[in-house]
Amino acid sequence: MSTPDWIGPVARYVLEVGLRNTLKLSAIALVGSTLIGVTLGTLLTIRFLPTRALIRLYIEIWRGLPILVTIFIVYFALPAVSSALRFDAITAGAIALILWGSAQVAETTRGAVQSIPREQHEAASALGFGWVGRHAFVIMPQALRRLLPPLVGLLVNIIQNTTIVQIIGAPELLESAERQVERLTFEGEQHAIEIYGAIMVIFFCISFPLTRLSAYLERRLA
Amino acid sequence: MILGLLDPSFLGDVWSFARDNRDELVDALRRTLTVSAIAIAGASIIGLTLGAARAHRIPVVSQLAAVYVEVIRNTPILVQIFMLYFALPQIGIRLEAFTVAWLAVMIWGGAFNTENFRAGFEAVPTRYREAGAALGFKGIATFTNITLPIGGRIALPSSINTYISIVKNTSLMYVISYPEITTVVLQINALTLQTVEAFSTLAISYLVIVWSMSALIRILERHLALPEEAR
Repeated sequence: MSTPDWIGPVARYVLEVGLRNTLKLSAIALVGSTLIGVTLGTLLTIRFLPTRALIRLYIEIWRGLPILVTIFIVYFALPAVSSALRFDAITAGAIALILWGSAQVAETTRGAVQSIPREQHEAASALGFGWVGRHAFVIMPQALRRLLPPLVGLLVNIIQNTTIVQIIGAPELLESAERQVERLTFEGEQHAIEIYGAIMVIFFCISFPLTRLSAYLERRLA
Repeated sequence: MILGLLDPSFLGDVWSFARDNRDELVDALRRTLTVSAIAIAGASIIGLTLGAARAHRIPVVSQLAAVYVEVIRNTPILVQIFMLYFALPQIGIRLEAFTVAWLAVMIWGGAFNTENFRAGFEAVPTRYREAGAALGFKGIATFTNITLPIGGRIALPSSINTYISIVKNTSLMYVISYPEITTVVLQINALTLQTVEAFSTLAISYLVIVWSMSALIRILERHLALPEEAR
């Protein structure tokens, strides 16, 4: 049985353009969310009211808004405020995903850092570490054990949420699939079920092992 | 510039934008809430039944539920919406935008809720069920009198979190042009070009709904908290 002719070009475009952009966007969003989230989450453990209130507000806003609304705000509203804040679709999507992801990471980090016993802080201080050194070399390495399972879970969510950037036209997996579906429809062929089905399979193959890994890490590092 | 957002007159601008477009915004918000309410009701029923089937390892149903949960949780909801609205017509199934709107978030929320309730029911100590059996309760009676009230309470906070996500995900119905709040605000923006006011109104609408629901979690947690012994 030979494969139908339409599959080749579709698969090539979806994998070369779509999958590549999805993975790129996911990687940028994961790194950005982790760096900003861990920093904000650690700062949130300092008992200084103004910074606490500001970080709290940041977390509650970006966790509270649907990601699509955040994407629209970055893509449509920021340029209206200042023309320096005009971004292409992928950059706008990455910024929006980082705003949302870093809010999630910040909340988890706060919990992880606070779960480290006081004695660890005191011991580190006794060894002459300042606040930054104490957190970077003593507290964080321990908190990371608690942070790892949710971070893998976040990666799954990030990968899935990159599809939302399709709505402003960024050429990730779903957008690349839609372009191919439309091209084929224009040529008089209907393959939406097969193509979107394949996209679901691709996402499943990436996400399922990661969800399992997250559950496994949670059991092992608990 | 951005600091302009801190100008007190800015809130006045947002308020007058909301007042100028009151009728459309109220209708749109009503649709967002209607779709969310239908989906939340459906997801609760799915979560309770399938969660119970998973926790009690009822043959066949439990395995099918597991497949449903894994497929939905490991694929993006937006692709699921595309499947329902743009792909199904290929095999002659044409659903209205309204139907897809509540159906998609219901299927999605149901999968997450199945996990919430499974975890809740499984967290009920076996000795409680044994105590029920000792009192002469049959299987179903043990569930409705012991597992459901205790496990349901344990699952409540996480299930409300799923309901919050359901409300947020209705914004994705923008792609099928269902006139909920996100779609309508974008339409108004295209006509009026009051971009900052439009998106501020949109953001405030969602934050009010989402923040109220999370406040509800905290209130309910305090009210329905189990005595320490029962955890």
